[in-house]
Amino acid sequence: MSAKPKIAFFDFTSCEGCQLTVIDALQTHLGLLDLVEIVQFREAMSEKGQNYQIAFVEGSCTRKSDEARLLAIREQASAVVALGACAHLGGVNSMKNRWPIENVQTYVYGQNGKDAYESYPARPISAVIKVDAVIPGCPIDRHEFLRVVQMMLQGRTPRLPDYPLCVECKLRENACLNTLGILCLGPITRAGCEAICPSYGDGCEGCRGWHPEANFDYMREILRGHGLSDHEIDARFTMFNHYQMEQMSGHAPLSEAVAPVTDTSLPTSSFAAPKED
Amino acid sequence: MSLYILSKEKLPAFVEALQAGFRVVGPVRTPTGFAFEEITQADQLQLDYTTTILPPKKYFLPQRETLFKYHTGSNPEGAQSVDVEPVFQDVQPTVIFGMHTCDMSGIMLYDKVFSEGFRDEHYMTRRDKMVIIGIECLHPCDDASFCKDMGTLTAPPIYDLHMTEVDDDYLIDTGSEKGERLLLNYSEAKMATTDHMQRLGRVLSAKWPRFRMRLKMSKDQTPSLLTLGYNAHIWEELGERCLACGSCTNVCPTCFCFDVQDELDINMQDGERVRVWDSCQLHEFALVAGGHNFRESKASRVRHRLMRKGKYIKQVHGLSGCTGCGRCERACLVDITIPGTLNALHDEMKVESGV
Ligand code: SF4
Ligand code: SF4
Ligand code: SF4
Ligand code: SF4
Ligand code: SF4
Repeated sequence: MSAKPKIAFFDFTSCEGCQLTVIDALQTHLGLLDLVEIVQFREAMSEKGQNYQIAFVEGSCTRKSDEARLLAIREQASAVVALGACAHLGGVNSMKNRWPIENVQTYVYGQNGKDAYESYPARPISAVIKVDAVIPGCPIDRHEFLRVVQMMLQGRTPRLPDYPLCVECKLRENACLNTLGILCLGPITRAGCEAICPSYGDGCEGCRGWHPEANFDYMREILRGHGLSDHEIDARFTMFNHYQMEQMSGHAPLSEAVAPVTDTSLPTSSFAAPKED
Repeated sequence: MSLYILSKEKLPAFVEALQAGFRVVGPVRTPTGFAFEEITQADQLQLDYTTTILPPKKYFLPQRETLFKYHTGSNPEGAQSVDVEPVFQDVQPTVIFGMHTCDMSGIMLYDKVFSEGFRDEHYMTRRDKMVIIGIECLHPCDDASFCKDMGTLTAPPIYDLHMTEVDDDYLIDTGSEKGERLLLNYSEAKMATTDHMQRLGRVLSAKWPRFRMRLKMSKDQTPSLLTLGYNAHIWEELGERCLACGSCTNVCPTCFCFDVQDELDINMQDGERVRVWDSCQLHEFALVAGGHNFRESKASRVRHRLMRKGKYIKQVHGLSGCTGCGRCERACLVDITIPGTLNALHDEMKVESGV
């Protein structure tokens, strides 16, 4: 075999939980390190090799200056993989897109926030650069990570399941939470996590994004049956997927237009002190 | 064949005795209902269960089954080589306790599907080791059941033993020599008397009125109804509602579609071929190489499922493709049901023909 392919990890706006999952996976599956060489991984090592073929990008693009960094990664890498919901969808970061960015900056960083911290609406990295593969989830599933790496090394294109989470949930023989009074977005969410949340009694929040045939109208009916208002349902639909809902707004899957918002204030903060990082 | 009697209090001893030589599977209580599971203690067995989310088919056709393992390498001359080693997964002596008559009808269909024409050695090898002990349903599981319409209210001839609760006893019919041997070797069952037979007859005739009919037509009419209603309007309505979640097929005791995949190990040399349950309600299912999708719309997929259940399977295998177990109805979050659909079709066709 020729030299091992070099891989590198990068983070943008994220909690680094997905990178931690990668570190976990490397510990449980040592064989992986026989197949690849890691040249950059801030979470795990200090060296910074600039010569890599596969780039794993965690986090969403949330400011103008992220774009140049993303483009540079794309320039170098022969393949870019979005790692986790933030990179794949925009993720929880995109919740802020519900409000004008100035309000968010002031809310989070105080009165000077607008000038001190750069920010704009959160987007998946695919909004800026071409992405070759995606590992969804918040956080990612370590087995899926290993599978995707392996397939890429074999020169195959990793494909995501394009059916809903309910498939995996039924195979685990779970009683359906939606019939037990617990909200679950499984019918519109892309499978692949083995329905981990419903299996532990928590409804799915859609962190893997929607599957291609997501039936929002009847999902809404199911949630109305739980007594949710349309406004509350919209909030559920946009927890991880605000950006997607914005993109789809022509098909009106939300009861209210996602942008621009009419109510421009933010809920009153109980921790009003500006946070400095 | 012959009728035996075993008092209820002697059942745990029968289960325990069987455990010495078999994996014993049966309905157990779960936090929300019942499920078929391996029985480790005799008192877990709940023969008065209602229904389960997945039918016992999961023991006959595992959700994920390795068909063979392969190893790729190069021989001493440097040429590529592939070694293939067949795998027979989950083949072990197993007693399935407490199968309802509808679920036995599902297995009767599987037995035909996997043995006629192309004989599936993986299924058949496993099946040979299975012992089926049925239980007569004396009450419908719930409102979703329509076994009476589908004619599955009595046991089909595939059981090794079949039990009916009669007061404090089980009256046990033997369906095979294997079953009879097990009963005599592992339990204290005795031959039933004429009196027992009369009591059994009374229990069986008393059950009939407890089950309601739900279809507006007889099951023999469903193939022609479906043929004539192929272009009916209801399919579009159902397609709009359907979540394409596949739950209806995953829980169905007569669905047997699977997908075959190759999985390569991390060492990139070894791998295995597996088959996994698949569903015709999913978008990818009908996607063939080249990207053409034979059943692109959800409406056509819902219709396809109904066609299989009410017509195609019957035409190909001579048995009904639906047992009336009601599982798909319980699993569907948008209330798409077999009786509801067939009845709506029936009504639509009646209006069309002006009858
Ligand atoms: S996807 Fe979730 S776990 Fe991963 S970085 Fe984003 S917030 Fe963290
Ligand atoms: S609990 Fe959620 S994922 Fe599971 S079947 Fe119900 S809706 Fe689908
Ligand atoms: S169940 Fe839903 S929220 Fe939970 S990990 Fe899976 S996709 Fe994400
Ligand atoms: S179609 Fe529905 S009612 Fe008929 S056998 Fe399948 S799950 Fe049971
Ligand atoms: S269970 Fe209902 S919603 Fe899901 S695929 Fe079947 S018919 Fe459609």
